Amino acid sequence: MGTIAGAQNILAGLKGAGINLVASVPDINMLQLLNLLYEDQDIAHVPVGREEEGIGVCTGAHLAGKMPAMLMQNGGLLNSANGLTTTALQFGIPVLLLIYYAGDVGDNAFHMVGLVTEPVLQGLGIKYTVMRDPARAKEEIAGAVTLANASKRPVALLLTRAVL
Amino acid sequence: MKRFECLQAIAPLIADELFVTTAGGATNEWNAVHPSDGNIQVKTLGLCSSIGLGLAIGLPKRKVFVFDGDGALWMNLGSLATIGLHRPKNLIHICWNNKQYESSGGEPTVATAGNIDFAGIARNAGIQSSRSVDTVEELTDAVSHALKNDGPHFIAANIEAGRAETPPLKYDELENKYRFIRYVEATEGKSILRIPQSASYLLK
Repeated sequence: MGTIAGAQNILAGLKGAGINLVASVPDINMLQLLNLLYEDQDIAHVPVGREEEGIGVCTGAHLAGKMPAMLMQNGGLLNSANGLTTTALQFGIPVLLLIYYAGDVGDNAFHMVGLVTEPVLQGLGIKYTVMRDPARAKEEIAGAVTLANASKRPVALLLTRAVL
Repeated sequence: MKRFECLQAIAPLIADELFVTTAGGATNEWNAVHPSDGNIQVKTLGLCSSIGLGLAIGLPKRKVFVFDGDGALWMNLGSLATIGLHRPKNLIHICWNNKQYESSGGEPTVATAGNIDFAGIARNAGIQSSRSVDTVEELTDAVSHALKNDGPHFIAANIEAGRAETPPLKYDELENKYRFIRYVEATEGKSILRIPQSASYLLK
C-alpha cells in the first residue's frame, strides 16, 4: 500500500521537478500515492486502462507543453514496450516513468517480471535509477526529469517499497 | 466513398485545428490534401487515439482531430473507454473504416466480417456524440457539427479500400515533432521546448 509520508514525499518531488500530468495504471504498493493524485489540484491525473495508452497520453501531453509522467507497475512497462520504442523513443519524447519494482529483492510477487525489468530498460536504452532511500527521493526525481528533458527521452525510476 | 474524397471535402472546413494521424494511408493522404505543421504522424499502430487524448487534455481550448483506422482502433479499442471516461470536449476522433489492414497488404481486420459497430461501442463507452457515416455529405455534416459543438466526438467513416497516389511525407518523425511543437508554441503563445542555458552562464 505504501505509507502516507512516503507518498507525500514522492508527490512533493514530482511537483518540485515540474511534473504536471500523470497517467496511471494502479498497483497496490502505490495506493497512497494514487489517492493523493486523485485529490491533487496541481497535477492533471489521467487514469488509463493499459500502460501503452499512457505512453500515448504522455506523448500528446508533451506536445501540448506538459511535463508528463507514467505511473505503473513493471509488468506495465512490458505492456508499453512498443509505444516506448516507436513513439516515445522514435520521436524523442521526454517522459518520466514511475515504475513500482515488483519482484525486487524482498517482494514476494511477480519475480519473473522483477528479473527482466532492468535488462528490458537497458535493452530499450532507457536510463534508470532504483529508488531505495526516501531521503534521496526528491533529488532522484529531479535528476530523472532533468535528464528526460535534456535527452528528450523517457527516463525511469524504479520505486521500491522503501520509498513508498 | 473513398477516403481521399472525404479528406478533400473536410479540408475546407479546417482552420488551425491539430491532427494526429494513424500509422496508415490516412497520414500521407491528409498531408497531401492539407499540408500543415499542425499535423503529426503516428508510428505505433493504435496509439493515435491515446496521443490525441493527451494532446486534447493538454490543450483544452484547441480542437484536436484523430485520424484512426479500423485495424489500428482494434489494437487500442480500450482507448475508446478511456476517452469516454475523461471526455475531453475538444477531441474529434474519426475512424477510417476500410475493413482491412490496407498498409499491411489488405489482410482482414475485426471489421471485415461486418459484426462490429465502432460508433455503438464509442457511444456505450461514454462518447455520446458518436455517428457512423456512409456518404461524403453525412461526413462533412458530422465534422461541421463536431467543430461547432462540445465533444468528445466519434465518427466511424465507412470507406472503400484503396489509397490515392500521394507523395511520401516530407518530414521524418523528429522533424515532424519539432515543427509540430513550434506550431503549437506559435499558435498558443507558449514555450514548450526548454533548451537549458549553458552552465557557464549560470556562474555568478
